Amino acid sequence: MARGAMMGAALLAVMRKELRQTFRDRRMAAMLVLAPVLQLTLLGYAVDLDVDRIPTAVCDLDRTPRSRALVQGLLADGTLRFELETLDPDRALADGLVHAAIVLPRGLGRDMQAGRSARVQILVDGTDSVRAQVAVDAAMSYLLQRGLELAAARLQDAAALRGAPLAIPSLEVEPRILYNPRMESPIYMIPGVAALVLLVITTVVTAMGIAREKEVGTIEQLMVTPIRPLALMLGKILPFALIGLVVAGLVLSVGTNLFGVPVRGPLTVVFAGTVLYLMSTLGTGVFISTMAANQQQAILGSFFFLLPAILLSGFMNPIESMPPWVQPITLLNPVRYYVEILRACLLKGAGFADLGFQFAALAGFGVGILGLASVRFRKRIG
Amino acid sequence: MPPFLTRLIALSHKEVIHVIRDRQVVYLALGMPLTMVLLFGFAVTFDVQDVNLGVVDHDSSPASRRFLAAMAASDTFTIRRRLDSAAEAEQLFRRGEIKGALIIPPGFERQLARGGRARIQLLMDGADGTTTRIALGYARGVSQQQLIELIRQQGGGASVALPLEPRVRTWFNPRMRSALFVVPGLVALILAMLSVLLSALTVAREWERGSMEQLFTTPVGRSSVVLGKLLPYVGLGLVQTLLVLTAGAWLFDVPLEGSFWLLMGATVLFLVCVLGQGLLISTITRSQQVATQAGAISSMLPSLLLSGFLFPVENMPTFLQWVSAVVPARYFISCLRGIMLQGRGAAQLWPDLLGLAVLGVAVIGICTAKFRRSLD
Repeated sequence: MARGAMMGAALLAVMRKELRQTFRDRRMAAMLVLAPVLQLTLLGYAVDLDVDRIPTAVCDLDRTPRSRALVQGLLADGTLRFELETLDPDRALADGLVHAAIVLPRGLGRDMQAGRSARVQILVDGTDSVRAQVAVDAAMSYLLQRGLELAAARLQDAAALRGAPLAIPSLEVEPRILYNPRMESPIYMIPGVAALVLLVITTVVTAMGIAREKEVGTIEQLMVTPIRPLALMLGKILPFALIGLVVAGLVLSVGTNLFGVPVRGPLTVVFAGTVLYLMSTLGTGVFISTMAANQQQAILGSFFFLLPAILLSGFMNPIESMPPWVQPITLLNPVRYYVEILRACLLKGAGFADLGFQFAALAGFGVGILGLASVRFRKRIG
Repeated sequence: MPPFLTRLIALSHKEVIHVIRDRQVVYLALGMPLTMVLLFGFAVTFDVQDVNLGVVDHDSSPASRRFLAAMAASDTFTIRRRLDSAAEAEQLFRRGEIKGALIIPPGFERQLARGGRARIQLLMDGADGTTTRIALGYARGVSQQQLIELIRQQGGGASVALPLEPRVRTWFNPRMRSALFVVPGLVALILAMLSVLLSALTVAREWERGSMEQLFTTPVGRSSVVLGKLLPYVGLGLVQTLLVLTAGAWLFDVPLEGSFWLLMGATVLFLVCVLGQGLLISTITRSQQVATQAGAISSMLPSLLLSGFLFPVENMPTFLQWVSAVVPARYFISCLRGIMLQGRGAAQLWPDLLGLAVLGVAVIGICTAKFRRSLD
């Protein structure tokens, strides 16, 4: 009992020292608390995955009412935006003035009227594969639709001439979009950015903090005190767990108030998920610090973990779209589970029952990495 | 050899020894670019693939089966489950098992046969807007193709030509592979992150330990002290660039259409900007811990998100476009893509090169001013 009390007192003392040390440098406090909120705000505005208003050149060699109507139809939905009219679309693309070009050949109007097939050329700059795909899809979709209408009209006319009226059916896909009906990027991205911001501050700060004590040599001083390694480690990470929770709360309220991210599920799910996630990120920070001799190594080591963790989390691009051999790797990534928990709970109202797997995996990773880190910490320090 | 140069070489030599002695830093600085090329090249594909669908087929007719087969034939969709009702779909959305549900109403085939309006409902988990948009576009395409088939049959076989025939030609990246878009941007991202952090830390360390003052008491001029410290990192940056370019060409067939030397020139300009940024941070903060946070915040996320690396600058709100004007990676990425993919030369890329030069001069100027003030 007395031993437990002593350990508790030691833990509190280390925590107090750590908090005081962190907040003594005002700039550090600002970096830890304000920077994430500022970042989230900026990024929320920047991360816009919708591609539209693609600058487009028009090369109309036909110059008939029909060709002009076709151009107008192609530009109507706003995906392609008229930038310039040119006779040399290749040049406009090569110089980067436009990212797409529509070429209507001479005789297009005549061919359309005569029922011959008219070729419309779409040139796209494939550098940005997403933008190119969107441009091609928009143009193809319009041309197919217009072609269908013309073909149907012609068939009906022919049938009417034969005296056997024909009814052409229509086939439509009616979308109903749940959870994010206007398909706004920020609503989807902000939970991901929150996970990112938490990851960057907690992992890097823990790894650097312990590495600094090593570099400066104060870790030896701490070792000769009666504080046991476990209390030392916990005392070093608990303050950052608290800061992490505060930051998570701030980030969440910015997301809901500024960007209209909904909160459809129970907040207890978000809280429990955040606690488990912080166990993983802080544990990883300690683990990295046990392998680093100085702060430079600690920061590089942290980035070595951060980048794959971010890229393989499904925060930017869906995991299902990754190559099959990459997908199993993401199962080892705590960021993936936290992003899934946040999105499912906030956007779709999922509860613990829906997210059992994610919680189990996140808890497993957190306990595992903290255990591993404390074993290594004790061996290296104690 | 002028004494200025001898001193510079001596200082750079000292710094090189510093860097090389710390083996772990060397491994990390060279291993990271390779890891990132692999990760980005393989894992970051923007092609929307294998969107999992649930299917409610109330019609179960040859026509509905034909439609489902056409949907499943694509890479875009995978039909994952058969459902009994639309209500079932929502729970599967929450668990993330499916992203969309196709609902074919009763009488679908009858409507098509008698020339009525046949409708299919596509229920989408719209949380991810991009995937939703592409999936919807694709589903519309499938329905158009089905209708064309139908009209051909009614019109008496293949005699009906489609009046408009789209021909698509793709420039610069004919197979529209993400890797070609991503790898040139990666050069900028890696250089920005590592150069800012390494230069900020190495100078902050000298401040922290007080050895900066020692260096200033030597007969070496202040500017050569700084230059000498940064030169080795210019070298490291160039090695990292070559590493990424080689790996990109070898693994993902990323071309180099334009001039190699123009590329190297732009790289040196960019390195001046980012190393200057790191130096400025370390001069202001003078502590490795604060410098790291400031370095990470000011380099990683802006270079990733405000540079046009993934999200086009034209699509951002106006005030963010202004912010991005001071992100050097924005100009550098434009140069990299222009030179590597589009084979552009200085004649077309001069605005970006000028942007880099202006930022480089500005950051070095601010550094010099700060330096003088903080020492006197």
